[in-house]
Amino acid sequence: MEKVIGIDLGTTNSCVAIVENGVPTVIPNRGGYKTTPSMVAITEAGKRLVGHIAKRQAITNAENTVYAAKRLIGRKWSSPQVKNSVATSSYRISQGPHNDVRIVLRDKEYSVPEVSAMVLQEMKLIAEDYLGEPASKAVITVPAYFNDNQRQATKDAGEIAGLDVIRIINEPTAAALSYGFGKNVEKMVAVYDFGGGTFDISILEIGSSGVFKVIATAGDTFLGGEDVDARVIDWLVQGFRDEHGIDLRQDRMALQRLKDAAEKAKCELSSVRETEINLPFIISSGRNEALHLQRTIDRKTLEDLSADLIERTVDICRQTLSDARLDKDEIQEVILVGGMTRMPKIQLAVAEFFERDPCKGVHPDESVALGAAIQGSALIDDKHDMVLLDVTPHALGIMTQGGFFEELIPQNTTVPTHRTKIFTTSRDNQTAVKIVVMQGESERADANELLGEFILTGLRRAAKGIVEIEVTFEINADGIVSVHAKDLETAKEQSIDVTASSGLTRDEIKDMLDNAKDYMVERRTTEEFEAAKQEAEKLVGEIERLLPQVEQIVAASDFGRDAIEKARSIVAKARQAVTRRDAGAVKAEIEGLSRTHRMFKGVVAKTP
Amino acid sequence: MIDKPAPKKRKSKAPPGPLEENDRPTVNPPFDIEAFARAATAPPASGEELNTTLPPPPNLDGEARSQRPTLTNEVELEAARARSAQPPDPAGRLPSGMLAIANLRSPSALPPSVPSSTSPPSGATPSPSNIEAAVLGAIQGSAPAPEITERTIEDPVAEMRERASLGDYTGALEMAELILAADPASLEAAECVENCRSVLENMYAARLGPSSGVPVVVVPQAQMQWLSIDHRAGFVLSLIDGFSTLEMIIDVSGMQKLDALRILHALVQQRIVSFKS
Repeated sequence: MEKVIGIDLGTTNSCVAIVENGVPTVIPNRGGYKTTPSMVAITEAGKRLVGHIAKRQAITNAENTVYAAKRLIGRKWSSPQVKNSVATSSYRISQGPHNDVRIVLRDKEYSVPEVSAMVLQEMKLIAEDYLGEPASKAVITVPAYFNDNQRQATKDAGEIAGLDVIRIINEPTAAALSYGFGKNVEKMVAVYDFGGGTFDISILEIGSSGVFKVIATAGDTFLGGEDVDARVIDWLVQGFRDEHGIDLRQDRMALQRLKDAAEKAKCELSSVRETEINLPFIISSGRNEALHLQRTIDRKTLEDLSADLIERTVDICRQTLSDARLDKDEIQEVILVGGMTRMPKIQLAVAEFFERDPCKGVHPDESVALGAAIQGSALIDDKHDMVLLDVTPHALGIMTQGGFFEELIPQNTTVPTHRTKIFTTSRDNQTAVKIVVMQGESERADANELLGEFILTGLRRAAKGIVEIEVTFEINADGIVSVHAKDLETAKEQSIDVTASSGLTRDEIKDMLDNAKDYMVERRTTEEFEAAKQEAEKLVGEIERLLPQVEQIVAASDFGRDAIEKARSIVAKARQAVTRRDAGAVKAEIEGLSRTHRMFKGVVAKTP
Repeated sequence: MIDKPAPKKRKSKAPPGPLEENDRPTVNPPFDIEAFARAATAPPASGEELNTTLPPPPNLDGEARSQRPTLTNEVELEAARARSAQPPDPAGRLPSGMLAIANLRSPSALPPSVPSSTSPPSGATPSPSNIEAAVLGAIQGSAPAPEITERTIEDPVAEMRERASLGDYTGALEMAELILAADPASLEAAECVENCRSVLENMYAARLGPSSGVPVVVVPQAQMQWLSIDHRAGFVLSLIDGFSTLEMIIDVSGMQKLDALRILHALVQQRIVSFKS
């Protein structure tokens, strides 16, 4: 049976997991890390870098390194979050042809799903390397607040990466799934998710039938561990300026090292009380004398530096509970997710606020991906007794007079579903009504997302409130929303189908998919060549090392001189093949090189 | 007219030979310089006539000049560049490799903090003849060394061509970049930059070995700060983690490939870095 991979496509880090023999497992990448930075870069030579390698050059190649693409996915160019990202990102963000967002790297424009697809493609490769077979089906997680367009954009990213995204699930739901795996829990839980780039708090109700209902969710998409790193960097920069009068921020190489060191120190301070930051040759002084940065930072300093950030997360928790009209004592468990929750001060702040010790039974970096893998496994395994339901992430409704939002389908309604409501005209002799279809939870229409609109004409002239119009919302199993408006007196009706859009057309997605496939072919070819080249170069090195000895031995005898000439010829041919970057030819020469190497070793070994 | 930041001593217009030997134009004179230098600076034995001016006769035993080891190479030049950027030594102390300094050039892509080739430092690189005079003055210790001045280049394009024809790709690259800075439309200079970069990249890459090689830092962490390297080399050193390949380090350095290769090569030559076997 084909395996389904679970992918936590995070703002700063991504993680891939699978259920193997009933056990959910995170798959490490080639470097042995269980998470991979969600970063993509294009080097000066046009080479694509994804993951850790992209992160390591994120500051020295800042204009061409994309991070936190998730903040942009599925959003309209005009949205405030996009404006914020444009103002704060080091890479160039431009307007796309469909009022969507594009990212410019080395003068080439990429859609956001295309960039996310590069990260997903990397996760897919990690899984395939581990499984030794193609991995095509995936469950991908998204924040609970993502609207249909953002979810569709994530699905499109999966498609471009060559994945069949069988389900999109909410991150807190995935974390709760991971928490509840193997247990029969029925609880109200809070998922406190403090990651690298975002903070989310979600309140979920875990039902006995395996239904995970998101009661409330809130957060800050511009608050994360990177803000804590920035505070440490500020501290280091200030200290260095005080000592040497030099601003390290002026030098990108210094800043890159500071960023890496700050993050490392932050992580270390979760387990030790103090740590040393040692950056030799950080910068050269005006007299061209290399200066070193050496400082010790303790946990207390880190806590002081990040105190207001932690307080902000607590404020959001307080507001979320208040909005959901929930008391703290109704929360039966607090699940910590995200790398920042390793920080003892954060654990303490959460415990103090919720008045209970948070659950430490789930892995902060892995639980979301593990939950996605659990759901993926359940979706293809009929024997699994978990009931998994697709629900509407946001309420659906229409705009009514005065700019209000009238909800027809509440948030978290299981699909497929349909609801009907009767509305009336708002003016005397009104002959047409405009149906504005929206998605969101706000009572104010302008705070919600516009999905589409249409006009129902030919209404009977009458006083306001007399003509009745029946509005029906229907969501089918594929998530397509249909809205019908019908004049109950004349039976005239109009309708609209609302499909979520990532901002990309089918043709665009197809082109991007083709490009991604071409890239993979090229990458595999390069990897194949590099592997062959490495082997050939190793053998050539060995042969050349043995050659003088063999020559000496042969010179003392009457045999084997032609063997040396042959060996030289094979080495020359292999070198030419490497120069031509011809993987096939290099592979073909490896056999000859191996034979020569064995022969040379034998000759040398037999000679006393 | 362009100021030449680091003049070189031009010995002869030897035809370019193999890359390894002739990438620097400087060649040894056909006699043992070391012995000559010792003899020249040694105090005369009593009653012995001072012999200071004439070098020994050339050794014309058939060894081609191009086959001899050159006094300077890219590594020495890197070291010389670093030394030249530092404050001068106390009087009377001579830096080693003085002839290397005579041939030094500033790197082709300097960091902003290092005085650029278009604005030479106050202690500007001396011209070869002046250096020799300064050295002699310092050795004799009697008279103050003559003032060290810059030499200017009348025709940078001709200089660029000449350096390229001599196989001095670093020097030619430097001149081409200066020309491009003044005239970005110069096709000849652009072509020269491209060619020189390509040759130098290949040269350093060949010296460093396969791009899949994994460099490791061999100097203990505690001794690191005593090394004589600049912050750019320090940055490259910080990228070496014992897992990343040469190719990865070049990719993440954010530097031009040539600069990254040059620095890595210098680190290997200084035995700060080696490659995993």
